[in-house]
Amino acid sequence: MLNFVLRYCRQIIDGLTTPFVLSYRYRGLMWMLLRREIATRTSGTALGFIWPLVQPALQVLGFWFLFDVVYGMRLERGANFLSYLLTGMLPWLGLSEVLNRSANMFREFASVFRRTPFPIEILPVQLLCLPSVVYTAVLCLIAGLLFGALAVLKALVVIPLLMVWLLPLVLCCALLGLFLRDFAQGLPFILMLLLYCTPILYFPDMLPAAMRTWLWLNPFSDLMALIHAWLQGLALPLNSLWRLLGLWLLLLGPAWLLFRRSLPHVREVL
Amino acid sequence: MSALISVHGLSKYYKLYAHDFDRVREIITGKPHHQKFYALHDINLEVREGQVVGLVGKNGAGKSTLLKLLANTMQPSEGSINIHGRVAALLELGASFHPEMSGHDNVYLNCAIQGLSTAETERVYADIVEFSGIGEFIHNPVKTYSSGMFVRLAFSIATHIDPDILIIDEALSVGDGAFSRRSFDRIMAFKKAGKTIFFCSHSLYQVEALCDHVLWIDEGRIRSAGAPAPVITAYGEFLRMESALPPGAEMQANQSANADEGAATGAAMRDGDLPRITAVRVAVDGHEAKTQRVMSGVSDVVIEIDFHPGRNLPTPSVALVFSGGDGRALASAGTLNDGLVLSPGADGLGHVRVRFPKLPLLKGNYNLDVYLLCERGLHAYEAALQAAELNVEQRGLAIGVVDLPHQWEV
Repeated sequence: MLNFVLRYCRQIIDGLTTPFVLSYRYRGLMWMLLRREIATRTSGTALGFIWPLVQPALQVLGFWFLFDVVYGMRLERGANFLSYLLTGMLPWLGLSEVLNRSANMFREFASVFRRTPFPIEILPVQLLCLPSVVYTAVLCLIAGLLFGALAVLKALVVIPLLMVWLLPLVLCCALLGLFLRDFAQGLPFILMLLLYCTPILYFPDMLPAAMRTWLWLNPFSDLMALIHAWLQGLALPLNSLWRLLGLWLLLLGPAWLLFRRSLPHVREVL
Repeated sequence: MSALISVHGLSKYYKLYAHDFDRVREIITGKPHHQKFYALHDINLEVREGQVVGLVGKNGAGKSTLLKLLANTMQPSEGSINIHGRVAALLELGASFHPEMSGHDNVYLNCAIQGLSTAETERVYADIVEFSGIGEFIHNPVKTYSSGMFVRLAFSIATHIDPDILIIDEALSVGDGAFSRRSFDRIMAFKKAGKTIFFCSHSLYQVEALCDHVLWIDEGRIRSAGAPAPVITAYGEFLRMESALPPGAEMQANQSANADEGAATGAAMRDGDLPRITAVRVAVDGHEAKTQRVMSGVSDVVIEIDFHPGRNLPTPSVALVFSGGDGRALASAGTLNDGLVLSPGADGLGHVRVRFPKLPLLKGNYNLDVYLLCERGLHAYEAALQAAELNVEQRGLAIGVVDLPHQWEV
């Protein structure tokens, strides 16, 4: 048992350190891959790099238009629905984009690593880089407008921490997307369901009491509770914090182990 | 001298799964659920600095797998590979280029993939661009490049990372026209500088001419290894037994496009600065024709070759090969091999004539291929394949392909 726990801890440490150590070692390569990613996304467009920044903002604007203008949703207690929506929706969009891309991660970078001595272990971190920058920039802007200057500083850490928390999920989605191709097709639907099951488009207490008790099963509810509290300067819900940390520690070790085991298969499958 | 490359008990097998899910099951449980298909089996090898190692074998023998393992684009299934030095592989040039990125960015991306830091890339960047001849187009997306520009840039990157080991699959030169010669010179410069080279080719002539050690891979195992001549001879015999020797394989001096096309199809020259064959004339007993009737041991065969020696290049050499109907080379002659140094005439053109008195080939149909080669006899500027067809007849009942000079004594 002790041996199992030690091995488990070693995998967690390995899973947390190795991708970042390698990313630092290959930082020049990662920078060029980032440029490659931007070139892929913005090639032929007039606005270029503006698009990745504007897209999340436009999506948020769409939700605001639907719920605030069309449905005219007004919340109790004088809460500002728009600020609530934006605070939760932006991190969710970032999370959703990263997980969707991770399911196709190996295929997206196949041309780079298939015939070259490429360190595949850096890909999960590579995948997190651009969304980290883009969503941090947009969230800082929104937080500054909604909650003042201090919130800008607080917003700086939200997306990067979210991305680190997502690492085990990225590893799992990348493997599932590679070996079970149906997964990548079904993932957008799963994420859409999760969006509706997570208090982003509504307050948790707007749910019927019977359903509210089930929210604790959804780690993304904890995530949203933490983000809202942090940006609005409220007391942090420590239960949510520990649950998220526990889940992260539980997943990271096995996810990293499976990822390492899969590496010899990756080039063969592709 | 210590080994630059040490390979011990190296095997590579591909995993075959009955169902896709078996692979997932194997990854999760760590227990095997596959069948093995061995591409390489128990390879042991030590290569010292400065060695030029040739790799021969039939298609599917495992040569490419070995090259990929040495290039670290594939991991061994069993055994180990220890490489002390940087490897540059001329395999699938430009495979990791991104079409939307500029040539400049692709240089930096590919150098980074090869392990160069940004500072190191900056140091070689100007040389890469200069050698590739891309010029101002370096800032355009590579999707706008011609295939020639694409491969020039890729070759330039691969050979400017200061490798200790160069892996070459098939071609000793890439691109076309003048760049073909430049790329060949660059590879030769690696050899001259004492770099270790792995050269895989179907051209037995080139392998024998270039390498000082040859491995013959067959069905994933090293069947023979050692000095080029005996290994090549054994492999050539094996191919003939298997009837797998492709026409012209022994001489097939270069895989680049300009070698196999050109005079054989009557194509005009492509690059005014490069040597080219301008005419091949074959005369039998004073009568000129492309298809000739020849009397064995009687007819004199005279072959005249006119060529343009190119500009700013050493005067080329000329070689010709007689081959049988099955493509097997039966005899050859070359100015380099015979110690004849050609020089252009007063008109700046080259001209050489070779005479085969009383041609000793026995009855049969033979083809004559003429090659215009570089001064080292390795890089073919142009090939006039099947420049003439000789239909040899004979008197008497001698058998075989050649009437050897002989004397009977009692």
